[in-house]
Amino acid sequence: MNITITFRNRRNPFIPIEAEMITPDAFFNNKEICVGEGNRMVHLTELADVGIDGTASSVDEIEILIRGDAALVKRVGEYMTGGKITIEGNIGMHCGNFMSGGKIEIHGSADGWLGREMKGGEIICHENAGDYCASGYRGGRRGMRGGSVEVFGSVGDFTCEHIAGGEVMIHGNTGDFACAEMKGGIVTIFGDTSRVCANMSGGTCYVYGSAVEMIPTFEKKGTISHDGLLFHHFRGDVANRGNGDLYTVRFTYLQ
Amino acid sequence: MAEILLKNAYVIDPISGINGEVMDIAISGSRIVEDASPHSEVIDCQGLLTLPGGIDSHTHTSGTKVNFGRYMSPEDMRAGRTSKKGHMHITSGYSVPTTYGNSYRYSALGYTSLVEGAMAPLEARHTHEEFKFTPLQDSFANALFDGNWGMLRAFEDGDIKRAAAIIAWTLTAVKGFAIKLTNPGGTEAWGFGKNISCINETIPTFDLTPAEIIKGAIKANELLHLPHSVHLHCNNLGTPGNFSCTIGTFGHVPDVNDKRQSLYATHVQFHSYGGSGWGDFCSKSEPVANMVNFRPQIVIDMGQVMFGRTTTMTADGPMEFNLYRLHHDKWSNHDVELETGSGIIPVNYRRKNLVNSIMWAIGLELALLVKSPWQCLLTTDNPNGAPFVKYPEIIALLMSKKYRDAEFETVHQDTEKRVPLPAIERELDWHDIAVMTRAGQARALGIIDLGKGHLSPGAEADIAIYPIKPDEIDPSAEYEKIIQGFAQTEYTIKRGRIVSRRGDAIIDGENTTFWVKPKVPAAYDMQHDTVFQELFERYYSVRMSNYPVQEEYLHRNHCIETETDL
Repeated sequence: MNITITFRNRRNPFIPIEAEMITPDAFFNNKEICVGEGNRMVHLTELADVGIDGTASSVDEIEILIRGDAALVKRVGEYMTGGKITIEGNIGMHCGNFMSGGKIEIHGSADGWLGREMKGGEIICHENAGDYCASGYRGGRRGMRGGSVEVFGSVGDFTCEHIAGGEVMIHGNTGDFACAEMKGGIVTIFGDTSRVCANMSGGTCYVYGSAVEMIPTFEKKGTISHDGLLFHHFRGDVANRGNGDLYTVRFTYLQ
Repeated sequence: MAEILLKNAYVIDPISGINGEVMDIAISGSRIVEDASPHSEVIDCQGLLTLPGGIDSHTHTSGTKVNFGRYMSPEDMRAGRTSKKGHMHITSGYSVPTTYGNSYRYSALGYTSLVEGAMAPLEARHTHEEFKFTPLQDSFANALFDGNWGMLRAFEDGDIKRAAAIIAWTLTAVKGFAIKLTNPGGTEAWGFGKNISCINETIPTFDLTPAEIIKGAIKANELLHLPHSVHLHCNNLGTPGNFSCTIGTFGHVPDVNDKRQSLYATHVQFHSYGGSGWGDFCSKSEPVANMVNFRPQIVIDMGQVMFGRTTTMTADGPMEFNLYRLHHDKWSNHDVELETGSGIIPVNYRRKNLVNSIMWAIGLELALLVKSPWQCLLTTDNPNGAPFVKYPEIIALLMSKKYRDAEFETVHQDTEKRVPLPAIERELDWHDIAVMTRAGQARALGIIDLGKGHLSPGAEADIAIYPIKPDEIDPSAEYEKIIQGFAQTEYTIKRGRIVSRRGDAIIDGENTTFWVKPKVPAAYDMQHDTVFQELFERYYSVRMSNYPVQEEYLHRNHCIETETDL
C-alpha cells in the first residue's frame, strides 16, 4: 500500500503540528488519522492531501511518502513497528521516537530528537539532524536501545546521549557532549566532535576526525590501527568507573 | 450563596467529640451553620461515613525541588497520564504528578488542605505559584530555617529574641506558615561537604550543635506564638542506628504550649532504625514510640514506606548523597545560599529487599505503638515513602491485622526476626483514623480556630463523604472494602462547594494560602536592622528589597497575625 501525504501551504506556517498518528501501523489498522495543529485536533486531510493506493496484508507492505513543508510536523513515525516512511524534505522534531521496526528515510534535514529512545528499525537522514539525535529524553536513564541511525550531514549537541544499544553513524561533525552518559552500542563519527563520551560507562565510540576538549578522566591505552587509520584508544570514563572504549584519530584537551 | 444540607450523614468529628452519630449537616456559603435554610440543595448521605476534609500535615507537592523531581524523571511523568475531562486539566506523573494531578488525586481521597513540608525561603515564589495551580486544597508552607545564617548567628550569640525576629521577618517575607528544620546543622555542613552525625556535635561553620538549634527554634517559636510548633526532620535520616539520635532529640523537647505540641517530628519511620550497619539493620520503633508515649509535647507523623516506585526529595542534601552512593542512579543536589539545600533521587522500594521490608514495617509499628492517635499522624512524607495515593492501603493495614499478616507473607523472609510488627495485635478504629488523617493534623498545626479539621457550626465547610457504611463493614476482615472506600470519595466538599464527585473534579476551584505575620515591635523589625541588611548585601544573590514575596503574588490568602513576646 502506498500512501502519499502532501502538506499544503498553511495560512500560518509557524504553528507546529503534532502528528504521532502518521505511522504505517495507524494506516494498517485503518485508524482515523488526527493531528494536533497548535491547540486544536484536526483530521489530517484538513492540512494535507492524502492519497492511498493499493492494499496491504501486513504493516511491512505500507510505504508512506511525505511531501510538502513538514519541517514543523512532529513525532512522525512514533512507536512504528514496521513499514517505511520516506520524507522528501525536512521533518520536525521527535521523528521516529520509540520506533521498534521499519525504516524512515529523510531526504532533507531532521530537527531535534531524531530516533529518540528507538528500539529497532532504521533511520537514514541525508542532510543534518538537530540536537539529541538518537538520544534519551532529558532525565531519562537509557537512550536509543537498538536499530540503526545514519546521518549524512552534521548533528547538534547531545547526540547519542544515554545511548544503550544499536548503531549510529554520523558522516559530518557533532556538537557538544556527543555520547554523554553512553552505556552501550556503537557510535561512529566521521567528522569532528567536542567533549565526547563524558561520563560513559560502556559501548564503543569511533571519532575519525578530531575530538576537541577531550574529557580528562579517560585512561589512555595506546594506539590501534583501524580502517587504515591510527586511532588513540581511551577507556573510561574513569570518573564513572566506566568501561567504555573511545577511539579517536586526533584529540585535544581543554586548554 | 450556595446552601447544602447533608442528611443522614454518619459523622465522626473527633474535635467536636462526635463519634459515629447519624446527623444532618447544614452548609451556608463557605461555612457550616446550625440550621439549614429551606432553599438548600439536599444530599442524602444514607449513612455514609462523613469526615472533616483531610489535612496532610507533611507532603511535598509544590516548589522547586518537587518540580526538579518532575523533570529529572520522564519515566515518572509517563506513568500517570490522564486526559482532559470536563473541568479537569490534563495531568501526568505518578510519584511527582503535575500540580493539577496532585490536586485532583488528593481531592478524590477527600483531602482539602495540604502543608508543603519544606519550602526554601529564597525560592518561595515558585512554591506559591504552584499553590495557585493546586486549586482544590488550601495550602500552607513550612519555611526552611535549618541553615539560616542570620538565625544561626543569633543563636550563637545566645540572642533568642533576635533569632525570633529574623524568623518573623523571613516568614512574613516569604509568606510561610511554620518553622521547618531539616537535619539542623547537617544541611548547613553539607554546604561545605560535611554532615553531622550526632545532635551534640558542633557544626563546622557555627559554634552550635543541632540540639542547641532545635531548642533555640522551639523557644523562638513560642516567643512568636506561631500557630504550629517547630516542624523537625531529625538528624541522621535513614542511617542504621539513628533511633538513639531521635530519642536524644525528643529528650530535649520542653513542654511549653498547652494548646498543642511543642515539637512536630516528621517522617519518624526514617529515624527509627537500629543496628550498626545495613547487615544488622533492624526496627527500633518500640523505644521511639515509648518516648512519644511518655512525652505528650511531641507529635510525630509516620512517613510510611509502601512498596513500588517513587521519588525521594528532601532538603537533607547529605542524606540524598548517601542514597546516591547506594543506588548509583540519578541524583540531584542543590544549595540554597544562606538557607538550606536539597537533594532528589528516584527509588524503588521492593518487597524482596530486606531493608525496604523493615522500613515498611517500622512505619506501621509507630502508628500502632503510639497509644494516642493524636500523637502519630498518617503520612507517607509524600512522595518520599510512597505517593499519597497509597493512603487507603495504609489505612487498611492499620485497621486490619489480617491484612497486615497477609502482606507480611509477601515481604522478605528475614523481616520477622528484625521487627516487632507480627506481634502487634492492635487494630485502629474509625475514630483513630479520623484523628490521624484530619483532626490530629488540625490540632498539631494549630488551625482548629480557623475552622479546619472539624464540623461544628462556624467551621469551614471542608467535608469528605466516603462510600463506606461503617456499621455494615468489619474493617479487620473486609479490608478490601476499606481500600476501595477511602480511595475515592462520594463527595468532597471544599469551602461549601462540591469539588470532587466519585473521583472526578467537577469545578475549577480556588484555594487559600495561609501564612503568618507575627506582630514584631519596631526594635525587632529586621527590615531596618543594619546588621541584618549587611548580611543580605554581603552574601545573598538578591537584594533585600527584592527578597520578599509581594502580597499580590498570592491569590486568595489568609494572613494569620500573631502577638509576640518580643
